[in-house]
Amino acid sequence: MATPSPSVPLLQMQRISKQFPGVRALDDVSFDLERGEVHVLLGENGAGKSTLMKILSGACGRDAGEILIDGRAVALQSPRDAQALGISTIYQEFNLVPHLSAAANIFLGREPLHGAGVINRRTLLAGAGALLRGLGTRIDPAARVGDLSVAEQQMVEVAKALSIDARILIMDEPTSALTESEIDELFAAIARLTARGVAVIYISHRMEELARVGRRATVMRDGRTVATRALPCPIPELVRLMANRDIAHHFPPPTRTRGVPILQIERLSRPPKLHDVSFTLHRGEILGVAGLLGAGRTELARAIFGADQPDGGCVRLEGRPLRLRAPSDAIRAGIGLVPEDRKRHGFVPGQSVAANLALPQLRRLCRGGVIDRARERSLARRWIDELRIKTAGPSARVLTLSGGNQQKVVLGKWLAAGADVLIVDEPTRGIDVAAKMEIYQLLDRLAGRGAGILMISSELPEVLGMSDRILVMHQGRLQAVLDAREATQERVLHAALGLAS
Amino acid sequence: MRGALASGRRLGTLAGLFGLCVLLWALTPHFLTVANLLNVLEQTAINAVIAAGMTFVIVSGGIDLSVGSLVAVAGVVLAAALHRSMPIAVALAASLGVGVGFGLLNGVAITWGRLPPFIATLGMMSIARGCALLFTEGRPVSGFDPAFRSVATAKLAAIPAPVFVTVGVYLLAHFVLSATRFGRYVYSMGGNEEATRLSGVNVRLHKTLVYGVSGLASAVAAVLLTARLNSAQPIAGIMYELDAIAATVIGGTSLMGGEGGLGGTIIGALIMGVLRNGLNLLGVSSFVQQIVIGLVIVVAVLIDTMLKSRKT
Amino acid sequence: MDKRQRVMSCLTLCAVIAIAGACNREAARGTGGGKPRVALVMKTLNNPFFIDMQRGAEQAAKDLNVDLVVQAAERETDVERQMQIVENLIQAHVGALALTPSGSREVVPVVGKANQANIPVVIVDTRLDQKAAADAGVKTASFVGSDNYKGGQIIGGYLVKVSNGKARVAVLEGIPGHETGDSRVRGFRDAIKGAPGVTIVASQPANWERDQGFNVFQNILQAHPDVDTVFACNDIMGLGAIEAIAAANKSGQIRVLGFDAIDDARKAITDGRMAATVAQYPDEMGRAAIEAAVKAMKGEPVPADIGVRIGLITKDNAARESDRK
Repeated sequence: MATPSPSVPLLQMQRISKQFPGVRALDDVSFDLERGEVHVLLGENGAGKSTLMKILSGACGRDAGEILIDGRAVALQSPRDAQALGISTIYQEFNLVPHLSAAANIFLGREPLHGAGVINRRTLLAGAGALLRGLGTRIDPAARVGDLSVAEQQMVEVAKALSIDARILIMDEPTSALTESEIDELFAAIARLTARGVAVIYISHRMEELARVGRRATVMRDGRTVATRALPCPIPELVRLMANRDIAHHFPPPTRTRGVPILQIERLSRPPKLHDVSFTLHRGEILGVAGLLGAGRTELARAIFGADQPDGGCVRLEGRPLRLRAPSDAIRAGIGLVPEDRKRHGFVPGQSVAANLALPQLRRLCRGGVIDRARERSLARRWIDELRIKTAGPSARVLTLSGGNQQKVVLGKWLAAGADVLIVDEPTRGIDVAAKMEIYQLLDRLAGRGAGILMISSELPEVLGMSDRILVMHQGRLQAVLDAREATQERVLHAALGLAS
Repeated sequence: MRGALASGRRLGTLAGLFGLCVLLWALTPHFLTVANLLNVLEQTAINAVIAAGMTFVIVSGGIDLSVGSLVAVAGVVLAAALHRSMPIAVALAASLGVGVGFGLLNGVAITWGRLPPFIATLGMMSIARGCALLFTEGRPVSGFDPAFRSVATAKLAAIPAPVFVTVGVYLLAHFVLSATRFGRYVYSMGGNEEATRLSGVNVRLHKTLVYGVSGLASAVAAVLLTARLNSAQPIAGIMYELDAIAATVIGGTSLMGGEGGLGGTIIGALIMGVLRNGLNLLGVSSFVQQIVIGLVIVVAVLIDTMLKSRKT
Repeated sequence: MDKRQRVMSCLTLCAVIAIAGACNREAARGTGGGKPRVALVMKTLNNPFFIDMQRGAEQAAKDLNVDLVVQAAERETDVERQMQIVENLIQAHVGALALTPSGSREVVPVVGKANQANIPVVIVDTRLDQKAAADAGVKTASFVGSDNYKGGQIIGGYLVKVSNGKARVAVLEGIPGHETGDSRVRGFRDAIKGAPGVTIVASQPANWERDQGFNVFQNILQAHPDVDTVFACNDIMGLGAIEAIAAANKSGQIRVLGFDAIDDARKAITDGRMAATVAQYPDEMGRAAIEAAVKAMKGEPVPADIGVRIGLITKDNAARESDRK
């Protein structure tokens, strides 16, 4: 193997494209990485960062484009290929076995043996110890991973990557759970790695730390690379590059007017994901909730709905404080939740459209505990017509419906139950454009009839296009409340990244 | 469409039962006689009644391994009450109450105790068995009033009483599972427990009740068994849970929960009953019988999973 | 495609039954084929005692030119299953029935059903509960078996003799409420009454089974390390106890007494791992049972009680006795 000329980058990804059903996830993306460099990858939720990294780690195939390492094209079809090429990924959720020692985790699947399958413990511990010391940590290789701190576990992950001779290390939000001093240690370890020629792709939303660790930053937006800047670079410029997404859809003109307050949230807390959130939702209002993944938006929704018990704070409905011990309490008060993960939390896939629509108000459809089938069917018919749910009939199983129609069933559940307050979490995720429009119109109509709607969304255009006001969350706290008229993508993003306004 | 699909699968099971009967009719002259068919129904009754309760549990996404032991404990309580010359109605109530009570304990351990159903009911299997042995000092309690024994011995138009009991149990259970709110919740919990909870259903309460239903079914089976044997044994019902699970699963109820029903279960129980009867009539060695029954269970479930993987 | 699979499933099922049925086509023909047909229903087939009984019965059936159907439940404790088997054989119109009851009281109802169908029933090895039978008004053609009480006495007397009247005994009982085990224990207790130095320190059921014999005796050893004799109500439990003794490194220190004289027990006696057992001659029981059943079927008189010989097996005669087969 000839030594490549130093002018050729270590990694070149050229004109990569990837299509998912209904979405163009990557469109002609190019990205390169030098030896010993830390290259920051920036972008909003859904900008295409994770898809690009999945392709590089072999977890996902590509439709078009080439990947070159040391100037030579490589196949890279599977995680095994990536491993053989020295590409290693450290995910936000660690892939460690908590019951095993640090050393055992580092060499999992590649244990040094005496022969006949007996593990050579001494070599194992010595090898792991050397790797960990090389990172400048003092972790005992025999310590159980479950007993280590998050920062130490991360070091174990890095050591594991190094043990397979990684040349390219992908780190996804590595500092999100670390304290300041732990971040310093991590950066010191990264500096040691780059000094040895290892290149790091660093994904982060923490703008202030980028210049400390990275040499260059590439910004992605809507499945494209927008720009690559040398670091340090002014933060406002990076934010501007990340924002300005295309407004792909037209939003229905609002037909609603804001009325009296209906839902008041006072100092709601559920550490570590939710801290001291207060706001008011009015009748006839769509209140958008923006924020990055993990900002605590879903936790907020579940706490208001009684699905998780808050540790502190109060939820008032029309001034009365609610006791929310279970979802049934919220439902009785007239609150509905369209959950983020439709398939896991939204409906019972094996049951009929009618049964799903009836589920929250089955009590009202019963006489002496026996379901009145005729009323159930007529209820189902009414909402199938009203929401234009495309289904073979009320008795069709929900799993046979398209994503958009499944979502309409979930919405219909709460409309049929007559919810006054509707919390919708990512209402249009994975839904085609036509169905999206219908759902937007539905939400607007509902608000027009006097309901209050809390709409959580990671789609900035959706939040800007639909909301009357926008709550922006950052690390479990309410960072900003913006009026829709004065909000821009840039301002929302600025707040979502936790930057002072 | 759930209804159509479920009945489609049930039709397959029914065809299996029918094919089995035709085959036995061809192989032995003793099978297709009124007396023998009534005999099969009578013999199927106990397993069928337990399997009715098991169907509730499995549809809700759980499993109940304690039913055999509950049969024993409900049986010995019944026998003891009868021996203390309590009125039959009181003795029956005590027995059914014990069955429901132990069943609800299972439910509480699973819902409020957050134990996996397998573990909770495995524990109960041993606890209830121990209670039955302790209560009777290990000895069977036998010899009852003919009035009580008529539960097993009486006949109406030549049809034995246990057959009527079974039909009654199935009509009632089918009504509850298919027409009531509770039944709907049983399916919802099995199909998607979290979505059901987020729709405001008190999942803990209804899940606990499901195990109460299973305990009740076991107690009804205990009444039939005690009357039939004229004796209640603390060691009765060993491994009955496996027969009940087998009948439910052969009937097309998925162990994953959310699907199935009593129509399938009764056919599953009949397939097992006909199979055992037929193999006896044919004089097949009891070793071979076990192989055949095992194969039937495996093949039935294999087909079920094959159908499902094609569907989705 | 669903349909095809459904058809496939039915075909598979049919094939399995057909094969099972074809293996037994002869037996399936019933009495219509010419030869009269009798059935032997035993407690289980996983005990050599019943295998020996089956052997004797088959020999008798051959000599008498009758068809023999042998059936048993999977578990010795499953009376309900035994009851089902008998009901099914009544439906199959067997000419006569020999039955070793899994429960002395619990089988009474099904014997009643056989009475109604005019099928004579010969009870083998375990007596019906006298009171339950009388209450239900059921009739049996005969009882074939050896006197379990007397067997218990014989082995108890042997213990008194070889221990010079001093022994600490653990008893492994059968399933509680079984006439067989109860009689054996009664006979044993009565025989040692005369020797005050022979005491029973523990008496626990091991339900006729080998693994339970092992576990129960292991537990008894923990509680009573000074036990020097174990009397197991059948050899199977005794063989389990022998394993427990070996596991506790006490081989040779504890005297093991069994009952039934199955082949493994005889071998154990020859090896010195077991002291004595009581020979029940189950093969003779099986033979006598079928002979009685055939007589009853033909309406010939049958004695109400047919005793099968019983004898003590020790190292002196174990080998000779086992050569007999």
